[in-house]
Amino acid sequence: MALAYSRREMMVSLCAREITDLETIFIGVGAPLLAGMVALRTHAPNVTMVFEAGGIGAVSRRIPWTISDSPTTDNALAAMEMWRVMADTQRGYVNVGMLGGAQIDKFGNLNSTVIMGENGTYDDPEVRLPGSGGANDVASLCGRTVIIMRLEKRRFVERVDYITSPGYLAGGEARKLSGLKGGGPVAVVTDRAVFRFDQLTKEMYLAEIFPGITVEEIRQNIGWDLKISPEMRIAEPPTEREVMTMRELDPLGIILGGKGVLQAESFDDFYRLMKQSYEADGICCDSVCGGITFRPFILPQS
Amino acid sequence: MISQDKTMLLGEAIDRYVRDGCSISQCGLIMREPLAACHEIIRQGKKNLTYIGGGAEVPNMLIGAGAVSRAETGYIWIGVVGAGLNYRRAVEKGIPNKIEVEEYSLNGLSMRFMAGAMDVPFLPTRSLLGSDLPRFNQKIKIINDPYEGQQVALVPKAQPDVGIIHVQRADKMGNCQIWGYLGMDAVLARAAKKTIITAEEIVPTSEIRKIPNMTAIPHYCVDAVAHVPFGAHPQSCTGYYWVDVPFRRQFMACNQTHEDYMQWVKEWIIDAGDWNGYLEKVGTDRLAKLQELEKDNCRIPV
Repeated sequence: MALAYSRREMMVSLCAREITDLETIFIGVGAPLLAGMVALRTHAPNVTMVFEAGGIGAVSRRIPWTISDSPTTDNALAAMEMWRVMADTQRGYVNVGMLGGAQIDKFGNLNSTVIMGENGTYDDPEVRLPGSGGANDVASLCGRTVIIMRLEKRRFVERVDYITSPGYLAGGEARKLSGLKGGGPVAVVTDRAVFRFDQLTKEMYLAEIFPGITVEEIRQNIGWDLKISPEMRIAEPPTEREVMTMRELDPLGIILGGKGVLQAESFDDFYRLMKQSYEADGICCDSVCGGITFRPFILPQS
Repeated sequence: MISQDKTMLLGEAIDRYVRDGCSISQCGLIMREPLAACHEIIRQGKKNLTYIGGGAEVPNMLIGAGAVSRAETGYIWIGVVGAGLNYRRAVEKGIPNKIEVEEYSLNGLSMRFMAGAMDVPFLPTRSLLGSDLPRFNQKIKIINDPYEGQQVALVPKAQPDVGIIHVQRADKMGNCQIWGYLGMDAVLARAAKKTIITAEEIVPTSEIRKIPNMTAIPHYCVDAVAHVPFGAHPQSCTGYYWVDVPFRRQFMACNQTHEDYMQWVKEWIIDAGDWNGYLEKVGTDRLAKLQELEKDNCRIPV
């Protein structure tokens, strides 16, 4: 019996598949985190996850919700300083960085700083976003980057207002000429399609489309004249194991969504869910990652 | 034998070292931020601060309380639950007051503190190149290095007047041991002109001497040590307590307008009187459960 999955879950699983086993991966907040954890629990059990705050190689039962909370060093190989992690990335030890983005343009540049708006400026923007965080560093320094974000017209713009995290800048040779060592983005994984980048022009094109989605629908959500690959194919749905893993890791739906942040949830509910994950008895599937065995918990009856 | 005793009450440390108009920094990064110290700064009505940002939640709170006039920042966000709405309001609408923003990536900030710690005028990084950060922040300089002519970005040293760090253990002299991620704590402690430590536990120096490898901050950088259990609530503190997500969701709900935020400040900071008053309001049962949830997954072995 096929397991029903959401488009967001498919997005996470496709992102997870961009990771190869044994790689060292730099993880950003949100969906990239979940994708990294899914990869670790499924096809890439020997991946080393690196968090900018200093955690290296954590293998945790509970999902890290941010790049610095305790799970980023649960069963970790090392707990270091930020400057060290960044320097190691700069030196070339980190193969791939996973990033989310607020706004992206056709050359894979990301904006998480300001949306200027019609008459706005940097100092007086329409929307002030959190800022780079480690995103600029990840985009600049990792061997390659994979970007994961939802496909919405207001997010996919011809040129971003502000380049927080460099993709291919103005396209073509621009990235190379800027002095950046890291390779740049290789995929943009969304909840309806996967995009990749042309070798020469460095412009984003449609590579894979979700089952049941039309090319026209994709075009309507892109703010420029999107190129389509002649080899465009239907993206592969997630496996049951991948989906179950995601749901176990994110029982509060904080990353997968579907629950409003402002929705009241008592402390007792929260406590109960966290205890369940600790006192688990195997149901879905065992995972062995980094040499440590986990038995996942019984999904809470909602 | 204790050669120096720097212990004092948190209120005394903030009163003595945090002056109106000074530059202030803190560590922790989304988690293990010194919330108790943040509350005390707001309670004492400090004004006109320059915040040099290595944290995410504390600056958002200080900005909302009208304490900050300038932010040299990398990322302001309330971990897990969402945007730093106070920060957004201040930049977008000037509520409660307009703030000047000078942006760096997190690695950029880390290098600033490192330069401050080494007392050199700047340090180079390979990130920031090609992005818009140098375009909008004149203090980031792009040069061709004097040896090989490669492009690098330079960031100026940061030596804030006060640095505040929350750690798991410290002795009375100020030797600090930190578990989990280290972030920028160790470099900030040296860069800051005055360093205030809040610690979950104060231990005898003999305990520090048992595992000197764990000492992240040596006593000679430290000016004040305050014993502040649960000093990072509602965030997590590795080995001590887990993140209080429902509390943060409620807090987030109270950030929707400036008035709601100030009402929250009145209830949880001003009327609470001090950190102990705040913890009583949170409730000992709740705190004990947060401890349990953390210790289920991570126990500090010494």
